[in-house]
Amino acid sequence: MNCLPYGIKAIGKCAALALAALVAACSHTVRVDGQFPQPIGDKHPLTVGVYLSDDFRQFTYSENRDDRDEWNINTGRAQKNLFETVLSSMFKETVNINQYPSNLPTGVDLVIVPEVRELQFTMPRETRVNIFEVWIKYDMHAYDSQGDAVAEWVITAYGKTPTAFLKSQEAALAQAINVALRDAGATLYTGFERVPELQAFLANKQRALTLQQTEPDEVPPQ
Amino acid sequence: MKSLTLILLALLSSGCTTVVIDEYRRSTGELAMGDSVVILGRRHSSEYETEPDLIDCVGKSLHNPEAGINIIPENQFVDALYPWFEPRTAPMHIKSLDKLMDIPEVRDRMATYGVKYIVWIDGSTETTSSAGSIGCSIGTAGAGCFGFGTWDKESDYEASVWDFRDQELSGKISADAQGTSYMPAIVVPIPLIARVQNNACKGMAAQLQEFLLPPQSASR
Repeated sequence: MNCLPYGIKAIGKCAALALAALVAACSHTVRVDGQFPQPIGDKHPLTVGVYLSDDFRQFTYSENRDDRDEWNINTGRAQKNLFETVLSSMFKETVNINQYPSNLPTGVDLVIVPEVRELQFTMPRETRVNIFEVWIKYDMHAYDSQGDAVAEWVITAYGKTPTAFLKSQEAALAQAINVALRDAGATLYTGFERVPELQAFLANKQRALTLQQTEPDEVPPQ
Repeated sequence: MKSLTLILLALLSSGCTTVVIDEYRRSTGELAMGDSVVILGRRHSSEYETEPDLIDCVGKSLHNPEAGINIIPENQFVDALYPWFEPRTAPMHIKSLDKLMDIPEVRDRMATYGVKYIVWIDGSTETTSSAGSIGCSIGTAGAGCFGFGTWDKESDYEASVWDFRDQELSGKISADAQGTSYMPAIVVPIPLIARVQNNACKGMAAQLQEFLLPPQSASR
């Protein structure tokens, strides 16, 4: 494009366009749209409300450091799919909550609220290992039906993928993020019962259910 | 025409690879009609990753329902048993299978698939050294490359065969392969690629077939 014949304003526009093109050349956008399998195993006897905030559903990790290109990594949709799929397989019943803590549906034993604390990644040229690596850390919060905190725990997830031959950096990173999200799902599913506060909460619920079941048998004969 | 034939011949040829297969067998294969085999890659190490395409290659080379070997694809199996065969949760020892079998859904799904053997493959293929250089240039008279490049690759894999029903280690097979690839460039680069990983895959698949099938069925 020849800007010179069109005056100073046009030159300014051209310069802005050139700058935008230069910046775009160094920025990468990754959108992760993972679908995850339904976990198999025993369900906990709880009715659980799941609150995924707008920030969580649209989570985008942005990084613009001097020693790296600009990266915008959107994991919102994939992590929404993951948590909805995994949590619905973990409990007797799950209810998706659009607002929290107001308008809590009745009959909910526990409300689970995940938050992304951290996302980190490394590229093969940085580590000199021939793999893309991703770490994601989630802060998990559980509240009872009165809105009191029951437990807080952390889920760390790791995903890696070999350098993808003839694949873009973005595609390889998206693949590593999907592996990390699968790992997060596995940790959430298998680690829930190991959180001491949740273990106690489950034991109480189980005891209450057992009492409920045995009560009718204990009615004395008339 | 003669030079074109020469170039084609060169393209069709490949670098040399040597493959060494070792086997340790504790019991003979007992695959019966309807039994399946799962081939899975170990992915727990942070330094390397057993390549999914190697697992796919071994599975495809082995899959032969007419001969009695039915292979369940890795992705299908891992998804069907999510989250119990993920890198973090997968059983590392055969004794850990007991705990997994306490979960009724896992037990049912394994029974539906008719899993008899689980084969865990651990290892990777790496470029160990490289030398030489190739330079390419473009000018008004045309373009061309000149030079010579060479690189060595090594594969090191070990397959552990678990008898899922008898809950015991049936045996182990290891495949070590190495090969050197060459790329002379006289105007056009001519790759002479040693297919190290592919040869390790074929060697391992052939040995696994012998391992899994009882002697009388192998001749079918």
